[in-house]
Amino acid sequence: MTDEKETKGAPEKKPKLNLNRVEMPKQSEHERRHNFDEVALGYTWEMAKEEASRCIQCKKRPCQQGCPVNIDIPDFIAALQRENMEEAAKVLKRKTSLPGVCGRVCPQELQCENACTLNKKGAPVAIGRLERFIADWERTQGSATMPEMAPSTGKKVAVVGSGPSGLTVASDLAIFGHQVVLFEALHVAGGVLMYGIPEFRLPKEIVQREVQYVQSLGVDLRLNTVIGINYSLDELLRTDYDAVYLAPGAGLPKFLGVPGENLNMVYSANEFLTRTNLMKAYLYPEYATPIKMGKKVAVIGGGNVAMDAARCAVRLGAQEVYVIYRRTRAEMPARLEEVENAEEEGIQFHFLCNPTAFLSDGRNNVAAMELIRMKLTEPDESGRRRPVPIPGSEYILDVDTVVVSLGTSPNPLIPSTTPDLNVTRWGTVVIDERGRTSKARVWAGGDIVSGGATVISAMGEGRIAAASMHEYLSNGQKKIIPPSPQKDDDKTE
Amino acid sequence: MYPIVDHEVLAPRVHRLRVKAPVVAEKAKPGQFVILIIDQKGERVPFTISDWDTDAGTVDFVFIEVGKTTRQLATLQPGDTLLSFIGPLGRPAEVDHYGHVVSVLSGYGIAAMVPILKALKEKGNTLTTIVQAPDAERLFGQKPLEELSDTVIWALGTKGDGMMESTTVAMRKLLNQHPKRRIDRVIAMCSLCLMRVLSEMTRPYAIKTMVHLTPVMVDGTGMCGACRLSVGRTNRFACVHGPEFDGHEVDGWEVLMARRCTYADESILQQGFQCRGCSQW
Ligand SMILES: Cc1cc2nc3c(=O)[nH]c(=O)nc-3n(C[C@H](O)[C@H](O)[C@H](O)COP(=O)(O)OP(=O)(O)OC[C@H]3O[C@@H](n4cnc5c(N)ncnc54)[C@H](O)[C@@H]3O)c2cc1C
Ligand SMILES: Cc1cc2nc3c(=O)[nH]c(=O)nc-3n(C[C@H](O)[C@H](O)[C@H](O)COP(=O)(O)OP(=O)(O)OC[C@H]3O[C@@H](n4cnc5c(N)ncnc54)[C@H](O)[C@@H]3O)c2cc1C
Ligand code: SF4
Ligand code: SF4
Ligand code: FES
Repeated sequence: MTDEKETKGAPEKKPKLNLNRVEMPKQSEHERRHNFDEVALGYTWEMAKEEASRCIQCKKRPCQQGCPVNIDIPDFIAALQRENMEEAAKVLKRKTSLPGVCGRVCPQELQCENACTLNKKGAPVAIGRLERFIADWERTQGSATMPEMAPSTGKKVAVVGSGPSGLTVASDLAIFGHQVVLFEALHVAGGVLMYGIPEFRLPKEIVQREVQYVQSLGVDLRLNTVIGINYSLDELLRTDYDAVYLAPGAGLPKFLGVPGENLNMVYSANEFLTRTNLMKAYLYPEYATPIKMGKKVAVIGGGNVAMDAARCAVRLGAQEVYVIYRRTRAEMPARLEEVENAEEEGIQFHFLCNPTAFLSDGRNNVAAMELIRMKLTEPDESGRRRPVPIPGSEYILDVDTVVVSLGTSPNPLIPSTTPDLNVTRWGTVVIDERGRTSKARVWAGGDIVSGGATVISAMGEGRIAAASMHEYLSNGQKKIIPPSPQKDDDKTE
Repeated sequence: MYPIVDHEVLAPRVHRLRVKAPVVAEKAKPGQFVILIIDQKGERVPFTISDWDTDAGTVDFVFIEVGKTTRQLATLQPGDTLLSFIGPLGRPAEVDHYGHVVSVLSGYGIAAMVPILKALKEKGNTLTTIVQAPDAERLFGQKPLEELSDTVIWALGTKGDGMMESTTVAMRKLLNQHPKRRIDRVIAMCSLCLMRVLSEMTRPYAIKTMVHLTPVMVDGTGMCGACRLSVGRTNRFACVHGPEFDGHEVDGWEVLMARRCTYADESILQQGFQCRGCSQW
């Protein structure tokens, strides 16, 4: 395959070591600008075999340590090398119920693949692509591998939020033999995997397959139910449930707080992505939810969310899409792969500038924005170079649609309706190293704790909490909880 | 799935649906709303709860046929189901003993205000209710309003039967009697433009005026920011901090109305979107 890494000078002892990974085929730029189909097409059987053969089965298993859920990576690759797909799938399922998701959206370059031995000399084994290949094989195979289920313990657990963190805890606890009810506020399970990450990066069918798998373990999924409104947390604890896991995520959109930000056609990324992905506005009018978008779209921000919004805008037919980021390309938090995809799709990046105002067309629709140029300061003690505005450098950019993608904060609903749940001043729920919150019988994890991280870290925290919850539930150390001092009937604020 | 148990046509293009949704009925309070989705391809659309029955586990709402979803809703019959029915959303309306409360209703507000009026009545308030409708034929839901209110003023678009011509004239007359016949509070659930005008009318008198705002919504739980508006110079989300707000503190009505009309070209049938003098037309 193509030579991309320089290996010159490295003393090459084992000639067998293949330092180049097998590339994964993608839809061409021209084609994919006009559809929401998945961009990356996945390995063929031959490609997967070839890539798996690169793994040298390190005794120390550094890759496994790099994975937040500790997947037995060498084992599943060994199974692939032996062409035993069923075995490979089983190994994966031991540690994750969402391999089809992680194989696609994990920042592998920072995790498992970063730790891979081959990374020192060449390209690491494409662990994520192999994981995806196995998950896809299993899915098209029809029957999913079922884990061994422990006998019923008679304990009942509520899991709040059906994103990756909640799904992980629900499936783990179900496997341990507990009865699990999974509450989801939206009409579909999956969290950000459904409403945020677009179809062309993570087909929704795959997420739903994995949700069905979790349900097949006996998890009772209750959609359209908002904890904090339909039931308060205290009510759950007081009534049916022995323990609760909180994973409501970080869904509160941040705004810049500059003049004109409420003008018509200024979206939050959450609204823009929810309309597009969850509600399938790209299939309007077959699907009833519309999305209005102009010709010149500015996306503010430099993370994965901004890349997703920008790439959706291209596919929805925008003529020009700008990404406005206040630092430089090197500081962008988005995955490099996605930045490159965005560039290939014709998205224009404007670095070192920041909006200071949005201007109206006279009828309260956005018509332009005022930007100020930024420069990076010298690194401070933390080593970060802060962007500062250059006075007098303001300029105007014509745009007719803006998507503010500055990230999100933790969902305030549950903390605000649960006075004795400790939160930080950023609104994140405080937990100890085993996922326990300040409130007895309540654990938490995922974005509500981290404030916004990754799918796999949300799952990893879920795994730790599930083990701790299982321990608590098995020891039967059900503490006597004093009755809550407040009536929670009218705490819907 | 949420079964429809009753469907009544109240007036031309005005319907009342009763939906089985025990979880919603259990917690419903006056002034709250639901978001429903008809089927897999449907949109999430908000409606104010007009009545509920905790024992039977049912929730009522009244809607006016204006566009795609409401027209589809109008075809549903008992036995049909809704895919999704989430609620009760938003904060309940503020209810206390104020004294003399004047309320202004039009459109679905004629039905959706009833639970609020009931609660206000229970608190011992004197109620004057101004009801606006295009004409007598398109009026509905008179009975509970007459029962609950001490005075009802019918403000119909056409003259006749001693009915007044316009809501603002009726309101002006009441304000002229203030403070001799004191008004302690105004509460409005009608078109955005009218609520804005009413807020401006009561401002010089410093009569607290609560408005029920209806920006475009998507999730209804505070996640998307579509429903944001500026109140007292801070950004608020109508779905979690509202939908009831102090009309004197709402800034940027113009922007609110523009945002509310984002999808006006898709729904040109909606008269509410074509108000005279609106910045959008
Ligand atoms: C656009 C976008 C792109 C991203 N791209 C990547 C990527 O490429 N790779 C990666 O690793 N990470 C990515 N992330 C981050 C990742 O998606 C999140 O870190 C992860 O989804 C967090 O999982 P979670 O389970 O904590 O919460 P979420 O996925 O947010 O799920 C929370 C769920 O809880 C529900 N809920 C909330 N409140 C309540 C309540 N009161 N009652 C009941 N249910 C409730 C919500 O509706 C939601 O379904 C991305 C995020 C976004 C927004
Ligand atoms: C909190 C709240 C409570 C409401 N309560 C009621 C009620 O009790 N009875 C009732 O008849 N109507 C109510 N509405 C308005 C109702 O949601 C709209 O009439 C409905 O969305 C129209 O949908 P449609 O598909 O039939 O119309 P279309 O015109 O096809 O809708 C097109 C788009 O505009 C949006 N939209 C259209 N009209 C409105 C509106 N008035 N407010 C907000 N978004 C709108 C829709 O969501 C959709 O995206 C309420 C709105 C809000 C925000
Ligand atoms: S889950 Fe993510 S980090 Fe773990 S092995 Fe798979 S791709 Fe790597
Ligand atoms: S570190 Fe890399 S080469 Fe070694 S076992 Fe893991 S994947 Fe294979
Ligand atoms: S409707 Fe989404 S935040 Fe209010």
